[in-house]
Amino acid sequence: MSPATREQSSIELYNLSPLIEFVEGNMNHDHEHSEQELAAKKAARPQIERDNKHWLTLEHYNNDPEFMKLAETEFQSSPLREDDAEDGVARRDFLKLMGASLAMATAGCIRRPVQKIVPYNKQPEEVTLGIANLYTSTYFDGAEGLGLLVRTREGRPIKIDGNPQFPLNKGALSIRSQASILSLYDPERLQGPKNNLFNENRTNKDTVGIKWDNLDDKVVAQLKKGDAVVLTGNVASPSTRQIIADFSQGFKASHVTWEPLSYEDGREGQKASYGEAVEPQYRFDKAKVIVSIDADFLGAWMNPVAFSRQFSAGRKDPKTMSKLVSFDSTYSLTGGNADIRFKIKPSQQLDVVMGLLHEIVVKKGLSSYSGQATVKSALTSYGNSAQKLGVEPSLFAKVASDLWENKGASLVVAGGIQTATTRSLELQIAVNLLNSVLENEGKTVDGRNGNPGIKSSYADLVSLVKDMNAGKVKTLIIHRVNPIYALPTELGFLEALRKVELVIYTGDRIDETGNWAHLLAPDNHPLENWGDAEFAKDVYAIQQPTIRPMYDTRSFQLSLMTWAYLAKVGPSRIQSFETYYDYLRNFWKEEVQPKFAKGQSFEDFWGQVLQVGFVGDTDKNSSPRTFRTEALSLVKPASATEGYELVLYPKVQIGDGSMANISWLQEQPDPITKIVWDNYVMVSIGTAEKEGLKEGSVVELKVADKKVELPVHIQPGLHDQVLAVAVGYGRTLAGKVGNGIGQNMYPFVNLTKGVVFSGQAATFQKLKKKYKLVSVAGNNTMEGRMIVAEATQKDYLKNPGAGVHRHKMWSLWSGHQYNGHKWGMSVDLNTCTGCSACMTACQSENNIVVVGKKYIMQGREMSWIRIDRYYVGNPADALAVFQPVMCQHCDNAPCETVCPVLATVHSDEGLNEMVYNRCVGTRYCSNNCPYKVRRFNWFNYVKLIEKPLHMALNPDVTVRPRGVMEKCSFCVHKIKEGKNKAKLAGTKLKDGDIKTACQTACPTDAIIFGDLNDPESQVAKVFKSEPRSYALLEEWNAAPAVRYLSKIRNNDKETAGGGSHDHA
Amino acid sequence: MITRNKLVLGDKSLKDITDDICAPIEAYPSKGWLGLFTGALGLLIFYVIIMGTIISTGMGLLGVNHPNAWGTMIITFVFWIGIGHAGTLISAILFLFRQKWRTSVARTAEAMTVFAVMTAGLFPLLHTGRPWLDYWLFPYPNQRGPLWVNFRSPLLWDVFAVSTYATVSMVFWYVGLIPDFATIKDRAKNKLRRTIYGALSMGWRGTARNWSHYEMLYLLLAGLSTPLVLSVHTIVSFDFAVSSLPGWHTTIFPPYFVAGAIFSGFAMVVTLMTLVRIGVPEFKNYITIDHMEVMNKIIMATGLMVGYAYGSEFFIAWYSGNPYEKYVFFNSRAFGPYAWSYWTMISCNVLIPQLFWFKKFRRSIPVMFVVSIFVNIGMWFERFVITITSLHRDFLPANWGNYPWSFFDGAILVGSFGMFLTLFLLYLRFFPAISIAEVKPVLPVGRENSKGGH
Repeated sequence: MSPATREQSSIELYNLSPLIEFVEGNMNHDHEHSEQELAAKKAARPQIERDNKHWLTLEHYNNDPEFMKLAETEFQSSPLREDDAEDGVARRDFLKLMGASLAMATAGCIRRPVQKIVPYNKQPEEVTLGIANLYTSTYFDGAEGLGLLVRTREGRPIKIDGNPQFPLNKGALSIRSQASILSLYDPERLQGPKNNLFNENRTNKDTVGIKWDNLDDKVVAQLKKGDAVVLTGNVASPSTRQIIADFSQGFKASHVTWEPLSYEDGREGQKASYGEAVEPQYRFDKAKVIVSIDADFLGAWMNPVAFSRQFSAGRKDPKTMSKLVSFDSTYSLTGGNADIRFKIKPSQQLDVVMGLLHEIVVKKGLSSYSGQATVKSALTSYGNSAQKLGVEPSLFAKVASDLWENKGASLVVAGGIQTATTRSLELQIAVNLLNSVLENEGKTVDGRNGNPGIKSSYADLVSLVKDMNAGKVKTLIIHRVNPIYALPTELGFLEALRKVELVIYTGDRIDETGNWAHLLAPDNHPLENWGDAEFAKDVYAIQQPTIRPMYDTRSFQLSLMTWAYLAKVGPSRIQSFETYYDYLRNFWKEEVQPKFAKGQSFEDFWGQVLQVGFVGDTDKNSSPRTFRTEALSLVKPASATEGYELVLYPKVQIGDGSMANISWLQEQPDPITKIVWDNYVMVSIGTAEKEGLKEGSVVELKVADKKVELPVHIQPGLHDQVLAVAVGYGRTLAGKVGNGIGQNMYPFVNLTKGVVFSGQAATFQKLKKKYKLVSVAGNNTMEGRMIVAEATQKDYLKNPGAGVHRHKMWSLWSGHQYNGHKWGMSVDLNTCTGCSACMTACQSENNIVVVGKKYIMQGREMSWIRIDRYYVGNPADALAVFQPVMCQHCDNAPCETVCPVLATVHSDEGLNEMVYNRCVGTRYCSNNCPYKVRRFNWFNYVKLIEKPLHMALNPDVTVRPRGVMEKCSFCVHKIKEGKNKAKLAGTKLKDGDIKTACQTACPTDAIIFGDLNDPESQVAKVFKSEPRSYALLEEWNAAPAVRYLSKIRNNDKETAGGGSHDHA
Repeated sequence: MITRNKLVLGDKSLKDITDDICAPIEAYPSKGWLGLFTGALGLLIFYVIIMGTIISTGMGLLGVNHPNAWGTMIITFVFWIGIGHAGTLISAILFLFRQKWRTSVARTAEAMTVFAVMTAGLFPLLHTGRPWLDYWLFPYPNQRGPLWVNFRSPLLWDVFAVSTYATVSMVFWYVGLIPDFATIKDRAKNKLRRTIYGALSMGWRGTARNWSHYEMLYLLLAGLSTPLVLSVHTIVSFDFAVSSLPGWHTTIFPPYFVAGAIFSGFAMVVTLMTLVRIGVPEFKNYITIDHMEVMNKIIMATGLMVGYAYGSEFFIAWYSGNPYEKYVFFNSRAFGPYAWSYWTMISCNVLIPQLFWFKKFRRSIPVMFVVSIFVNIGMWFERFVITITSLHRDFLPANWGNYPWSFFDGAILVGSFGMFLTLFLLYLRFFPAISIAEVKPVLPVGRENSKGGH
């Protein structure tokens, strides 16, 4: 039997155990209060008069009381007799005995293999069937680092949660980090090392299997020739960095670090401005005014989860909330959350920053820099920035004055590939100057404690290509990057690669790069591998394996160690340790422990680290660095360009495209456009009108001599001269899911004048083709309905309930009574950024299937929680609002009354429960649901889950067959789990003991779940006393158990009439 | 003195009537019938294949989606149920009102009812996600503990309404057929025929006692069927009206649906009768232009009622001040992406029947045939408008979505006609299409034409 099938059969069995416990628990409960009832019932039974005419025994004839007692019970031998409990054999004991005898009978039977039924002959100490084990670990995607808590069931990881103590994400996660679990179970992963046998010109190949020993021999023989290079992405793991260094030392190899989304302009700017190329830490929580110039810090730039957490912390209280001003050349998630949003094009980014500097330093003469001639002269040509941007000068001046008034507590950020233009270095220098002028340096910008592993450099890569072409590279080891896919063709990486004698690739599949490598030495999946990470200076985190490697793969680190060992080169530590685990422990013993726990024994320290997941803290004091004004000499005077400009951007869900084969990501609607399974060129409404473009018109986009055909998406709130396209699409060898989705935009990167992604002059030509872009948004506006209640901060200060339109409700019915718990949820629309991490959390937790583009087009998406995005304001400058909508668990649930078979019913804890087994699928409930949160299994989707992807299914949640309605259950299995835990511990359930999956993942704590009958719970307080809270479609009187908190926009405006009125 | 036109033309004797009506049953089928039957049977087989594919693959083959969880199947169900109303109305209500003209059309109209209800009845059963569990919709004693149906659900009421209606109308129809079966049995020239029709006639001998019981039973069944004519479509309309969806949640639905049902039912009777008249020319003496005209008058009257309901819905939408309701009517229905369907419905159901104000058109076979077809189309679209335009844009605009019409939607709609027509053609071939026993008493035999009588 293969491991997969054994796993599956055991899973089915495990499922029973919590169920049985639960049933038993319930019976106990029933029994307690049913005893008196039973007695009363028995008393009320009619007395049976027995005739003595016909008799069987003398006792019968004599009306013997013993006999009468027996005769009263009709079925004397039944074990199901209700009053048997006192006799010792109660109904459930009978069940237990039956179960046991069945088990014994089965165990005794030869033909049924024991292994199949008893999943662990020797049960591992830590595994309890049916109970999840959580392991701390880490996730790193090249830019973002997160602390994880991997949930495993019976030895297989099933869900990635955030580590609630981890200083960066505090339990929150991103879409991609949660979806990375699917890459572990990707059916197309390489299952062992492979050898590509090329023909002479390397135009054709034959892939054959190879043994690790043979592979090692080949590699070592080649490495001994020298001239080896290790090409990796950013390495966040300090021990891996040391291994690479040891390896390089041994083989005289060099290490090149490169990521497609490199963001190196920021570090270059830091170097020019402050002397050191570092990746700063930002403190969005400490900033009262935040200005972002195309830095999508809430979406896809650097550490969005940590940034979102900080950002929301500064906005929880609407009275003191921070203000976010966004200058946006795409429609980024950050722009979507801005209080004030300005649309710009990439060539104006520098004008924004220099213009703000000009306002503060030159016009108002503020700050110590106003006396410096170099600063002033650099700024002179930027005096009319507001006009150039087409922004009301008073508004622009207000941004500048807001920044200055909050100096030391403001923050200006610019970055991402959207700002990677020919003038990106100037932009970064200007931003640094502005932060220094505003005295933010050392306060909200911390240049001393950033992630030391971010070293990616296109410049190094370009020189590597030169070396390869010159024949100076004999061996190339490529790890965790995919240069063939993500580099512009004209760089000639492929041609250069052909000149390398031996290419070794550690990727998990034969992808674009793997296709050209001689040897494929597949790395373990991070969930199978030990590791560590340093996401911020001196904050060390551990990565624990949560499953034994599923296939014949070997960690990259161990590969390097093995090769060094076989060649007997390098420092002794790389040669002497047998496994990477030993190396890692040694590293922590020597390098990490001395910094944190000098006196402690290493075993104690190590144990603690594994348990907590990390050591160190990000909340450190920093000190300002001095801005080198000579850097301003690099900043050239203002210039202006006309015509369309290309903007490339990474999407929140797809990122750099390396995880393209994960179906959850492809089907995840873009947080702004809500389009799935595609990339497209975004044009403004004005441009579309001018050029006669419609949604889905196909255009040929041209930049110099590069061309690509793309469908058009008309995006409100976009600058008229912007053509924005996402990178990360157009994979050709990602796998069945990711191949051929969208178009690859990396070829448009220009490496001749620095690293230029955006701001390149572009043109397009309309073709006579149509392409169907599929969006899950039914409509983009609220049609004047109060769905997302919104008010400005000024409105709020006058009336905290501003923006909420209330109706006086009354009912003939007193409603359900909830004596125990009554579950409820609140969603703060003011902190929700629309990042969609909750959607992936729900998908992973509740086994929600992916249906594919065709069926999304037909309106068959299955998400239990969705994020409705509406635009507000005039379309050309539209602002966005986000609203997570899940089942509202209505007290007067319209779905419950119309189901003919009672498949959806109300629980005594206020849940609207869906009984899958009973559902025949009339779909009337969905029609009658005003929120349309119910999803129907139109086909037998679950059957289509390819092995071993089924191992990612959560055994706590039923998979739904075809023809059955499903919907959000408020994570009812987690409620049960929480209640059981409390019961076992003999304690009362505390607020926060039970957290739904969406709540756990949310980086902004927008979702709060709890017991409304507990007056001290957070959610009860929101329901009772929060003036911003309202129920969706309140006047429809479905009485939802979900309430939303109105969105507050801190934009200095006031709505006429205070924005609200009540219906008496 | 106003003399009524004769109900049966051509100075038929009692024997002529029996001969005429039995002729199509006793002769070898005509080429026309064979051709039509082959076509209809082909369509039925196609329908079975399509339905089989849907049952084995999933409802997803149809256009039903989120938010339009109901689609072609429910639309077509209501369409056929509506058609099934004319038969019972003609045979029961008109019987109670002693409308003698009903005799020659009642049988066929009733057959149409039975077949239409059979066609309709399949849809709600097959449109569930798991049709093999449909028996759960019935409150039958079971061993699943207290697992019972939900009596609050209009769908359950629907189960009762439709099954009751199907049973009663079938019994009513069959009881009416008994004397005629006996007639055919008596005329039969071979044993097989005699046996089959003999069995079907349940031992009818035509005695006075037989007739006495028969008349009483017929009267009682007519009395029983009459409220059903009103109740069935009222309850079907509850499927919509009891929900809380704007565009569905209206009190006008029951009368509006009943009027619509009679409207569409009569249109279908006219369509079929014109065809029967062409197929069996002799029947022109029985189903006269007068008959057709009366039915056209009913079409016009009910058409006006339906038109009134359309207008009243708009008025109430405006008058209620409910923004969702207003949106459904003023934006979605009249001017939304499905406005074409709305205006098709208005043209077919309200405008075109206005032709019947003119006597010339009321009595013109080609005109009434075309109008009746339009009414049939219009009434299908009425159900489409009600179902889809209400569902596709409800409360939260983020949920809005159109109905992705698929090949299977068209196939089941067309295929359902295959089922209906196959049954109807078999009926024409094997059952007396006009009630022999009922037509004879309306002959003026022994009255004004009798020479020197009493």
